[in-house]
Amino acid sequence: MVVLEHFHQKVIIPLRIGSFDISITNLTVSMFLGVGIFLILLLLLAARPKVVPGKRQVVIELLINFVKKGIVYNMIGPKEGDKWFPLVAGVFIFVLANNMIGLIPGTYTPTSNLIVPLVIALIIFFTVHITNLAKNGIKGYLRTYAPSFVPSWMYVIVVPIEAIGAIAKPFSLFIRLMANMLAGHTILYVILGLITYFKNYFIAIAAVPFALVMTILELFVSAIQAYVFAILSALYIGEAVHPKH
Amino acid sequence: MDPKVAALLAAGFCMGVGSIGPGLAIGNLVGKALEGIARQPEAGGQIQTAMFIGIAFAEAISLYALVVAFLLIFVA
Repeated sequence: MVVLEHFHQKVIIPLRIGSFDISITNLTVSMFLGVGIFLILLLLLAARPKVVPGKRQVVIELLINFVKKGIVYNMIGPKEGDKWFPLVAGVFIFVLANNMIGLIPGTYTPTSNLIVPLVIALIIFFTVHITNLAKNGIKGYLRTYAPSFVPSWMYVIVVPIEAIGAIAKPFSLFIRLMANMLAGHTILYVILGLITYFKNYFIAIAAVPFALVMTILELFVSAIQAYVFAILSALYIGEAVHPKH
Repeated sequence: MDPKVAALLAAGFCMGVGSIGPGLAIGNLVGKALEGIARQPEAGGQIQTAMFIGIAFAEAISLYALVVAFLLIFVA
């Protein structure tokens, strides 16, 4: 299908180490561009901090307060939140930068590939389970699957549901991010591809404003998906750190 | 019926039926959020934030249906 050929990766500089293929593709270039722009922006905003903040420092304090008080302290609590703030903030900025870079025409959205959201979701999965084991011991870890407010005869139903949930939660995290980014770009390509398909410029009178509205919606959706990913990661980490039984 | 034709029909059906649930969910959600904001406008910011989180969850369900439709079109 011609529409989906935009989602294939183009190799720019082929590199191999042994039998591993680590070529520079357009995904690599987009990822480095997105994260690089964000890093340079954040470093410029945070340069030379003073006790009484100037205009640039207020912006970065706003961003950090948003992630710290809005996401981490809400879900994990103020005492443990300081330890988990770098991970959640890193995930938030990484997903936000990678979602937003796709809005520039000609680049590739790294989070619309299969691999990038899968790896981030796997990081959160292992973090949650290993933290649960390390903090609560093996008895506490098994208590998450069999909460104490459930009468014993219901364990037959509740334990499989909780076990499936342990796999389904990071899987839904990954699928939600990937499918949202993929769907946004697919709609755009299909609507604008109608002009090429009908080989007629009159379709553009209807297609281009619709594509403009979809692009604005996609800007919105990128930011919201990054926020939802970060807040759900913080929620799962909070459940592992403070189990509610 | 040719399996390819059946797969394409199933993809269309899947996407159609799979949009009913999230459509109802998002409509209810935004309605209740509007009622909440109308009752207490000072809590508007918090209600709006919670509404967006709820919409992202409901949207994810319709995207599961989209993934199944893609699987049907391209892999079967």
